[in-house]
Amino acid sequence: MTAPTDPTLPHNPFIDVQQNAFRRGVDKATKAAALGGVLLTITILIIVFVVLIHGSWMALRQIGWHFFTTQAWNPVPGRDQYGVLSFLYGTGVTTFLALLIGVPLSIGTAIFITRIAPRWLAGPVSFLVELLAAIPSIAYGLWGCFVMSPWLQNYLEPILYDALKHIKLIPVGKYPSGRIEFFPANLVHGGPSGSDFLAGGLILTIMILPIITAITRDVLLQFPQEIEHGAYGLGATWWQTTRLALAYCRAGIFGAVMLGMARAIGETMAVIMVIGNTDHISASLFAGGQTMSGVLANEFMEADHPIYLSAMFYVALVLMLSSLVTNVIARALLSRIDRERQLA
Amino acid sequence: MNADDIKAQPNPFAGRNPGRRWISRGVMVLCTLCTALALAVLFVVLAYMGIRGIEYMTPAFFTNLPLQSPEGMRNCIIGTVILVGLASVLGVPVGMLCGIYMAEYAGKGWFTYLAQLVMDLLAGTPTILLGVIAWQLVVVPLHQQSGWSGALALAFIMVPIVARASEEMLRLVPHPHREASAGLGASKAQTLFMVILPAAKAGITTGIMLGIARVAGETAPLLFTALGNDQAVYNPSQPYPSLTLKIWQYSQSAEPAWRHQAWTAVLVLVTMVLLFTAAVRFTVRGRKVNAI
Repeated sequence: MTAPTDPTLPHNPFIDVQQNAFRRGVDKATKAAALGGVLLTITILIIVFVVLIHGSWMALRQIGWHFFTTQAWNPVPGRDQYGVLSFLYGTGVTTFLALLIGVPLSIGTAIFITRIAPRWLAGPVSFLVELLAAIPSIAYGLWGCFVMSPWLQNYLEPILYDALKHIKLIPVGKYPSGRIEFFPANLVHGGPSGSDFLAGGLILTIMILPIITAITRDVLLQFPQEIEHGAYGLGATWWQTTRLALAYCRAGIFGAVMLGMARAIGETMAVIMVIGNTDHISASLFAGGQTMSGVLANEFMEADHPIYLSAMFYVALVLMLSSLVTNVIARALLSRIDRERQLA
Repeated sequence: MNADDIKAQPNPFAGRNPGRRWISRGVMVLCTLCTALALAVLFVVLAYMGIRGIEYMTPAFFTNLPLQSPEGMRNCIIGTVILVGLASVLGVPVGMLCGIYMAEYAGKGWFTYLAQLVMDLLAGTPTILLGVIAWQLVVVPLHQQSGWSGALALAFIMVPIVARASEEMLRLVPHPHREASAGLGASKAQTLFMVILPAAKAGITTGIMLGIARVAGETAPLLFTALGNDQAVYNPSQPYPSLTLKIWQYSQSAEPAWRHQAWTAVLVLVTMVLLFTAAVRFTVRGRKVNAI
């Protein structure tokens, strides 16, 4: 039975198309299309893994685990040797440096935005920090290579050298012939070049700062007012209350740090423009190096024989897995925060 | 517990540390300094780009080709715009469909969890790897670097960005809108197309703009795919000119004139990207768009 249409009622935009089979068809098609989009996205990620594993299959078979214990990267046919160790080291050191400097800076900035700045200042500061994230990596690279590197070479690194020259680092493994040797190494060694691990770490610091700041800010905003008021009521100072907030939000902040770390691991252009591009392992901050993404950017197109290309894919696979692990941890920590927020 | 027991509790905040007020003030100053340092870096980076970029800017930069005299980057600017347009054509529909599914259809089961994880992981994949994938999928079968392969690599990057922005914007549409629409007899699809999507239109548009701003500055995924081109060739089945690739190429050269061009190109690129991003921020001020 259909209801009689009353001309005095307002027009109902939906009632004209009461053809039920058609409507149900459109309904199903819409849902199927949306689901199709999701399935396509899942397929893309599967394709990423299939392509990387397929491409690196030859190197996986021929080099296997030696890839992780060989420092040499020597693609000359006949005498070729492929090891990811120096690139892993380069990625590791630059990421570590970036986190070492970037995490305190970012958390400090996030605390300023959420807990110190008056509201009229917090918005603009937040906006400006997010602008840092919008600047393309090639722009940071150009600035790093023509402005920051010369400045490091001429001003900062000589000062650092005098300050740090007596510091010996924990023994660092060196693998000249596949054998592992250990020896104490200087934290700073050789002349300041401006194109080194320190430069790579600093440029990455700038690039991860807005990410960690933005997420830490969002997480800190979740700190319940009741706890804050309670703490102040007991006579806590601002810092004692802020420490409560940091402790309360620690999982989310750790997630933010992991997300910044994932960004640092995958970053390519800015780093290769300042890191010096050599496959050395050195404990010195002033030594040039190379990262996994960097060697891909520099040599992928030059890989002209099968095992070389396959080794490049192997590097890509290692890079993908490092980034994957970091991202999974970050998302697990951050989604726990989201769930808690939904429950609250 | 009676009142005497409560009194017996020591106050965890006071007493032990007489200097705590000074520590508190000190940390406050430190946090302010952190912010000042971050903003100073932004200022220095932008100032260098602005000053050097304008210093070396010439009219020929916008009108001539790289191999003409005087040199310019007309084709690279146009190439980047078209490349990003092609990437949007490929990536935006898929991203929007994902966002619609996650906001409107997804339940609470394992599939939703998986889809969310996959999108997060795709968003976190190093962009250079997406270039490698596009190289394997398009360049290897066709034996030639091309605009299509570059656009595909950029589209991979856009999908998760657009998906997340759409999802968040669709979730912002109040639930009573959906109920009222259903109450009028609308089907789910009608509600989606005639009520929810129009309401979220501005938000989704800004999400797409964020995605565009993001991929416009990408270099690494184009290295093996679009490759770059010095001619005014805009056929996507050939190697494609791109502003970011040209900046990379010129920054590696010892020729001062080329380095100067690179600075101007960076200024043009950063201006485009920041204008887009700033426009987005001002349109959706107060609402949350996750750009990262």
